[in-house]
Amino acid sequence: MTIGLNDYLFLSVLLFAIGFLGVLLRKNTLVIYMCLELMLVASTLALVAFSRFNGTLDGNVFVFFILTVAAAEVAVGLAIIVALFRRRQTVQVDELNALKN
Amino acid sequence: MNLELLQSAAADNRWGALFPELLLGCLALLLLVLEIVLPKKHHSAIPSVAILGQIALLIALIVHFRTGFIGMTTFNGLLRHSVEGQFMRVFFLLTSILVSILGVVSLSRQRMPRIEFFHIVIVVSAAMMLLVQSHHFVLFFVALETVTIGFYILVSYYRTNPLSLEAGLKYLIMGALSSSILLFGIVLLYGVVGNPALAPAGAAGSMDFSSVRQFLALHPDNFLAKVGIVLVLSGVAFKIGTVPFQIWVPDVYQGAPTPVTAFLAVGSKAAGFAVLIVLAGVFAPYQKLVIPVLASMAVATILFGNLAALTQFNVKRLIGLSGVSHAGYLLIGVIAAYTDPAAIGAVYFYLFAYLLASFAVFGVMTHVSGSNDAEQELEHYADLAKTHPFLAFVLAVGLGSLAGIPPLAGFIGKLMIFLTAFHAGLYVLLGVAILGVIVSIYYYFGWIKAAFFASWRLPAPAGEAQADLPRVAVGWPAKLALGSLALGSIVLGFYQGPLVEWLVLR
Repeated sequence: MTIGLNDYLFLSVLLFAIGFLGVLLRKNTLVIYMCLELMLVASTLALVAFSRFNGTLDGNVFVFFILTVAAAEVAVGLAIIVALFRRRQTVQVDELNALKN
Repeated sequence: MNLELLQSAAADNRWGALFPELLLGCLALLLLVLEIVLPKKHHSAIPSVAILGQIALLIALIVHFRTGFIGMTTFNGLLRHSVEGQFMRVFFLLTSILVSILGVVSLSRQRMPRIEFFHIVIVVSAAMMLLVQSHHFVLFFVALETVTIGFYILVSYYRTNPLSLEAGLKYLIMGALSSSILLFGIVLLYGVVGNPALAPAGAAGSMDFSSVRQFLALHPDNFLAKVGIVLVLSGVAFKIGTVPFQIWVPDVYQGAPTPVTAFLAVGSKAAGFAVLIVLAGVFAPYQKLVIPVLASMAVATILFGNLAALTQFNVKRLIGLSGVSHAGYLLIGVIAAYTDPAAIGAVYFYLFAYLLASFAVFGVMTHVSGSNDAEQELEHYADLAKTHPFLAFVLAVGLGSLAGIPPLAGFIGKLMIFLTAFHAGLYVLLGVAILGVIVSIYYYFGWIKAAFFASWRLPAPAGEAQADLPRVAVGWPAKLALGSLALGSIVLGFYQGPLVEWLVLR
């Protein structure tokens, strides 16, 4: 059997949905962060699949930009999470609710 | 590889078109170099270098406003230069100058490294300039992420304050979520536009805005394209903070350092709207989808922003939620632009009036707040008119302009948006907006009342001095900036003259 564009897209949408639900439902900041990365990876997979089946290289080049951006985002994000853990001794989102009136 | 192709590609890289962004980048790096080179006792001069450098650049930009690049596409279709782009460049430069001035005031009360703050502010505003001129989804995404990641750092900048860090984390999670949604939308659009079975023969790159628009005009009913458009609009809606993507606004505005809150409220929102206007043009063939999405967002945003702001006592949450409702009014302008092109000018004018008024208010907030930046209640403003009449005057002008009291600039901005909405026949939206404005007067005037009228306070027990309110004296650069902002709001209310002619009647 051959794997077509639709199979790749299905997998990518599935990954995206898992990531999205994970961000909404999970309570640990690090797990939420992994889910966010999963969403980016899902987009990247769809991009590569489209690029392959459309026969244009733009998508493949875009992947490099996405990877770079994701790396920068992780660097800043983990720094914030570590700094917050040092202050509050927790990374559970339901305990991080000081900003409420 | 074809040598001629590469040569022609390189010839299209017109670096001269990018001089403001390049010079801003150089200025940002210069600050870091100065920090290493200068001895520690001279470090206090570096922020002035940042501010003066940006002012010099602003003057150069205004002098060279009509460059030869307007109307051209450079860097192989990555950038498109337009008069609106030039206007937004001036806008963002003005924003970053004002943020830097507020930053000097606010950072003087914190034990924090200073120079990086100005560095990141400058880099973010350069990225915003690129964002509003981008003509290609790759550059669009990269510029947007540069802005967003810069803001993650800025929001959590006061890292000894757990509230600032918590705001940073919330912004990080919501920001990354919206970026992923936006990216997935871009990917879907790329997939359908580049599809060889659907694309017109000999189509150029499949990610620049003109070929996307061309494709959408040819295929007005493509399912994947529809999903992509909705996802991209959602990602942008997060940046401008419209319902249902506004959940981050009150918390992040409260926790972020006050100058950063101002930067988010004005810079990030203006960038979002400039981008939305460009994208609304790209998605114009799908009007039947885009208009209902934006219109329902606008109604929900105006109602939510105004009603939620009614119950707030923390001024930073209050200004954040009132900013949400301003995003709703601006959305009406964007929708009206589909039938009445003058609405685009009205949106830009409104943004400019919003800049003047917001920075006046944020400037006062920076001076009134104590060392804990997140806790600024309405009661801190008691007797402001007696102790600091200048600050109270600036606050009254700023809030009055935000509320839309004639004859201030904010009133003219609202009037222009509402008039274009009337021309475009958006009567329901207009009714909701007018209702929202009436409600908003209540909470804006509650704030003015707190500053001007004596409030009853518990008398201090005998032998103890009345607890001092945490206020600082106003230095001359801040005084100059705040005074000219208030004056600008008043003058622009009476005399719009060339600005309106130029923006609206083009």
